[in-house]
Parts: sequence; C-alpha cells; structure tokens
Amino acid sequence: MSGGGGAGSKTPADFLKSIRGRPVVVKLNSGVDYRGILACLDGYMNIAMEQTEEYVNGQLKNKYGDAFIRGNNVLYISTSKRTMSEGA
Amino acid sequence: MAATAEEDSAVKEPLDLIRLSLDERIYVKLRSDRELRGKLHAYDQHLNMILGDVEEVITSVEIDDETYEEIVRTSKRQIPFLFVRGDGVILVSPPLRTS
Amino acid sequence: MLFFSYFKELVGKEVTVELKNDLAIRGTLHSVDQYLNIKLENTRVVDQVKYPHMLSVKNCFIRGSVVRYVQLPPDGVDVEVLHDATRREARGG
Repeated sequence: MSGGGGAGSKTPADFLKSIRGRPVVVKLNSGVDYRGILACLDGYMNIAMEQTEEYVNGQLKNKYGDAFIRGNNVLYISTSKRTMSEGA
Repeated sequence: MAATAEEDSAVKEPLDLIRLSLDERIYVKLRSDRELRGKLHAYDQHLNMILGDVEEVITSVEIDDETYEEIVRTSKRQIPFLFVRGDGVILVSPPLRTS
Repeated sequence: MLFFSYFKELVGKEVTVELKNDLAIRGTLHSVDQYLNIKLENTRVVDQVKYPHMLSVKNCFIRGSVVRYVQLPPDGVDVEVLHDATRREARGG
C-alpha cells in the first residue's frame, strides 16, 4: 500500500475521479461529518452527494436526499471502510 | 461541453444539483448556525443566491449558569426576498425529488 | 456578473444590508461594483439601541466580503428575468 485511494490511484485528482459513486465520509472544517454516496465533485471540491447523513459529534443530526457541499468547507473526503474492504 | 438537450437533467457536476433546483424551495445551511428555507430564484458559481419567501432559523446554545445544561434556542424570521452571499454557504439541499 | 448586473438595476431603491458581524444597515443603494462592494446613502442602523455609535453615519461604503445578506425590495425582484439570467449564466460557465 503506497497510499492513494484503494483503487490503484496515483494522484489526488486520480483518487477523486476513482471515488465517484462510492460511499464516502466528507469532513468539514467545522468538524461536521457527511456520510453518503458521492455523486460528483469539481475542481473547487464542491461536492454533490446522495443519501446524505449529517453527523455532529458522532450523532446523526439530519438526512438529505441530495446535498451540495461548498468546497471551501471541506477538510477531507474519505472512502468509508465498507468500500475499502469491498473495493477494487 | 456541447449541450445537446436544452434542459439537460443529468448531474455531471455539483452545480447541476443547484441548477435543477431553480424555482424550487431549497434548504441552505450557512455559517454561524443559520439555516434558510426559500424558493431559489437566482444563483451563480460562487453560490451567491436570491431566495424568495425565506424563513431563517438561527440556532444558539446557552449554558445554564447553575445546572451547566445546554439550552438550545432557535429564533425564526420571515424575509420576502433575500440576497445571500455565497461565501457563507456550507450546504444546499434541493427538495426531495421523486425520480 | 449576474448579481453585479442585478444590483446595478437596483440603484436608487431601499435595501437592508446585513453584515457578518450582525450589524444591519438600511439605506438607499447608491452604487455597486464587480466585487459587490456597496455604497448606501440615507443610512440608518436597524438596531439603534445596540449600535448607538452608528447614529451619525449617514452614508457608507461596505466591502462586499463582509456582507451576509441583502434584504431586497419586492418590487426590485422580477422572478422571470432572474431565472433567465441564471440559466444563461449557468450555460456560460
């Protein structure tokens, strides 16, 4: 494992391309987590997610069918464990 | 990008989610514990927006001096038309779509 | 450019600008630029009890980046025009 996103990706951009349609955790600078299916993202790290759950301090606070997250708030995007073990 | 269909309903980039919500009521989560619900009349790539029939909810948490319990307060107000500067936006959620 | 154009059309109308520090200033929109910096005239602070030091301010320049909201006059919003302009803007990039 030389890093990357479990899909044999090399650069951050490759990682981002490879995780479309996968379950992800998006952490914001505020500490809030969003768990859902990553629909797509752009160069600003704006993110569109589906079946999104909002976790504040580990507690489920909200659910959104679709959600747009403005990129400047994003700390990281992580494929959730489920995907890592399933993954490519 | 050559847009063949006049109103393409596919979501290829995140902003398409917003585009498909034009003239619909949306939920907007903002910095400093503010939330808006209103009809989306205009937006740009910064997420600057004009919303109509807006309800703003501000959530504040106070600590009770004696019991140290958290008291969550929400205040609401209605605004007919509101320009929202995009840099305060955290999340936008379109209405639940039955597809 | 959409909102710059929109606010230019709004010049002369009364708006309430709410800043990120919670100060809300009502006044006549005098001018706007591409950064959405705003000049207001005949200003009054909405909560004068909380901000008495603003009583003597009669006009001001507001840096666009400190704006949270602008409350718009209902007669200054043409929904159809905004929809069309937004769709054009979305296509353009």
